[in-house]
Amino acid sequence: MAFWTSLLIIHGLLAVALLGAVTHQTVAVWWPVRKAAGSFVTRFRAVPSASYVWAIIVLYVVTFVIGAWIYTQYRFTARLALEQLRFFKTVGVFEMKEHIATIGLILLPAYAAFWRQPLSAEYADARKQVTLLLALVIWANFLIGHIANNARGFGS
Amino acid sequence: MIATNKTLIAGMTFTIAYAVVYTICTEVNLPLVTYHPVIGEVDFLWKPERRGPAMYWYGWMLTSLIAATAMAAIASVTPETWLQRAITFGSLAAIGYLVFYTLALFVYDRATVELEFLKSRWLSVIAAVLIAAIVGFFLPAKWNERIWPGWVCAVPLGALAVLGYYLTPYFTR
Repeated sequence: MAFWTSLLIIHGLLAVALLGAVTHQTVAVWWPVRKAAGSFVTRFRAVPSASYVWAIIVLYVVTFVIGAWIYTQYRFTARLALEQLRFFKTVGVFEMKEHIATIGLILLPAYAAFWRQPLSAEYADARKQVTLLLALVIWANFLIGHIANNARGFGS
Repeated sequence: MIATNKTLIAGMTFTIAYAVVYTICTEVNLPLVTYHPVIGEVDFLWKPERRGPAMYWYGWMLTSLIAATAMAAIASVTPETWLQRAITFGSLAAIGYLVFYTLALFVYDRATVELEFLKSRWLSVIAAVLIAAIVGFFLPAKWNERIWPGWVCAVPLGALAVLGYYLTPYFTR
């Protein structure tokens, strides 16, 4: 059990890093700064968004692979307990998480293509849209994972 | 916005095709493999559960991966105008199918006589394909010149809506 708990914590930590990176990039690309950074919010928006692309792709893939591995254990331990407790909504949102995670994964080839250097002005809108969708996917998965993990309490 | 090179077109096609094939795989249950987590064994194609639950998610992803990779390879050597037409046709047909089948079931539920034929999916499929072909034919030529990058977000969002709809039984128990 310690192995799976450790893996779940690593999965969670990677998800936090991914969440931070994609949020930074999304804010920077949708709300770019026009003048020199001053406040915390302005500095948050002032990051060079293109430099996040490969970090986001690698973090997403690694987080996904670890999550998919943990899922094998979840399927016949946590999920059975949730069903016995009649937590069907929790099971349902976790089922949705697997679909959302898959959709996020398959956005990556297009995301990488739109962010390929040199950045094309023609694809500025598409780049912003796919980045926003990827950010929403990552936020949704993070929150759902958090809810599912809290359903019975950590370590219970 | 217009696409300019093969890598970009292949990347976009992969995302779009995967979303569509994955949605179909989950609905029709077409996994390339079945995983049995309790005993740690993998079966080829769909197999029922044995000693514990069976997992099909990995199999759906593999089926979709093969199909989407093949489609992306084909797309990279296909004229953009054909791709744009094909994606538009597919999207219109998918929306049409959802509308027709929902309407057919709505009428079936409320009809005072038995209209068994309305339960057939094929009727809705044929109607949707016809409507998609007609609407596609009348779309402005300019719309079909290049592949629209917005499909990359629109199709996966549509797929998520359908996948979410399939899960409603979890929320209505």
